[in-house]
Amino acid sequence: MQSLRFGAAIFTIALALGLSSNEARAVGADAGSTISNTATVDYTVGTVTSTTSSNTVNVTVAEILNVAVGAPAAATPVAPGQAGQRLRFRVENTGNGSEAFLLTLNSNVTGDAFDPVAAAPSIYLDNGDGVFGAGDVPYVPGTNDPLLNEDGFVYVFVAHNIPTTVTDGQDGFVTLTAAARTGTGTAGTVFAGQGTAGTDAVVGTSTATQTAQGIYSVEAVTVTATKSQTVTDPFGANRPLPGATIHYSVAVNAVGSGTATTVVFTDNIPAGTDYVAGSLRRNGTPLSDATDADIGEYEATPTPRVRVRVGNLQQSDGTQTITFDVLIKTTN
Amino acid sequence: MKKGIRNYIGAAAILAGSLGGQAFAQDQGCIVLKSVAEQEKEVVNAKGEKTKQLVAAAKIVPGMEVVWTVTANNICKVPSEKVTINNPVPEHMSYVADTAFGAGSDITYSLDGKTFGVPTELTVTENGAKRQARADEYRQIRWVFRSPLQPGASAVARFRAVLN
Repeated sequence: MQSLRFGAAIFTIALALGLSSNEARAVGADAGSTISNTATVDYTVGTVTSTTSSNTVNVTVAEILNVAVGAPAAATPVAPGQAGQRLRFRVENTGNGSEAFLLTLNSNVTGDAFDPVAAAPSIYLDNGDGVFGAGDVPYVPGTNDPLLNEDGFVYVFVAHNIPTTVTDGQDGFVTLTAAARTGTGTAGTVFAGQGTAGTDAVVGTSTATQTAQGIYSVEAVTVTATKSQTVTDPFGANRPLPGATIHYSVAVNAVGSGTATTVVFTDNIPAGTDYVAGSLRRNGTPLSDATDADIGEYEATPTPRVRVRVGNLQQSDGTQTITFDVLIKTTN
Repeated sequence: MKKGIRNYIGAAAILAGSLGGQAFAQDQGCIVLKSVAEQEKEVVNAKGEKTKQLVAAAKIVPGMEVVWTVTANNICKVPSEKVTINNPVPEHMSYVADTAFGAGSDITYSLDGKTFGVPTELTVTENGAKRQARADEYRQIRWVFRSPLQPGASAVARFRAVLN
């Protein structure tokens, strides 16, 4: 306090000497600081010119209570039954003094398709790296309410378990509310003497409490395979005679949102038939029969089968067509 | 020059001790300057109407406007001429455009406390281009009163500034 007053006096003198005051920082005036003003007047009486200063007016800056809660930048994709899924919020003290904030999580927001189930613990305070990790501490209301300096912020993680019953495309909303511990209310509400450095605290336009919403978005993808066949017999017709060739075509699709990972297609060679060597193709591209670098192979043992390691598959990839031929045995 | 003034004030202090108030005022100078900080408050009058009134500034928080009023009162028996009031825009505050007022005065502004001009004369260079200065960039305001201030009369200068 002493040093603040001293600073204000220096400022007044600097102006009287005609120095620039443009060094004033652009940050908001701190709660508890002093705004000083001294005017001067020049005048002439007869031939004598005089200068007089006014009294110096000091106004103490009160604390304004304001907070901003930033919603997660994007929805968190989740799968049915996933546990411990997190959303990251950002709580910033947009007031002008040091303030603690009460955090409240609401997992049962209306207007969504399902309610994420709050994990235990459900709120974590970030350790400053912005990434969820071992250094982040569970939040306990009233015990470790984040104390933020003006313009200070903290990332807050909320954790939920996703019900097993959810389906692709469903959204679950949750909200995080931060409220100034000194008090909340309509803008202009005064908490006498409860501000920084014993000043009054005044509620700002944020009403000293703000809420932001985060979204868990279910991404469920299913893979379908549809098989069809055409028969070509040795006589140019389509009868399944011994010696006829059966051409199998399997359409593999991913349906839903998200990515089906490490999709592997396998199909046993029907009894009474032999695989036609070198006939395996994906989208018309031949795949070697050997188990090697390419994604397809034919395995003779223990059960004769073809296998294609499709890999990651999304709906946008479209139909993957796998084809192979078998020959109906002439002797058993 | 500075030393001379200091001696003069020293003499005034001694005179004040021996001769009383009137002599003190005379020797202090002819103009007493008073600065007041107020804020506008909405009140409901007896008729239930909302009106705005100025009350002493308290509970100033960022975003709030303060009305600064400087009153120059001529306490001599002779007129004061070339009355010029200077007031810096207080630190952490920004002048609110078009709020400087002073009956019978010409008002100019300064970005550096040295050069004064009307708004169209004040420019700043930003990214290599000149533009007219914004009101929130003014750092000092000057009121030059066109007529002499008569004995017992007051001149009032007023402006608004918002707390950053």
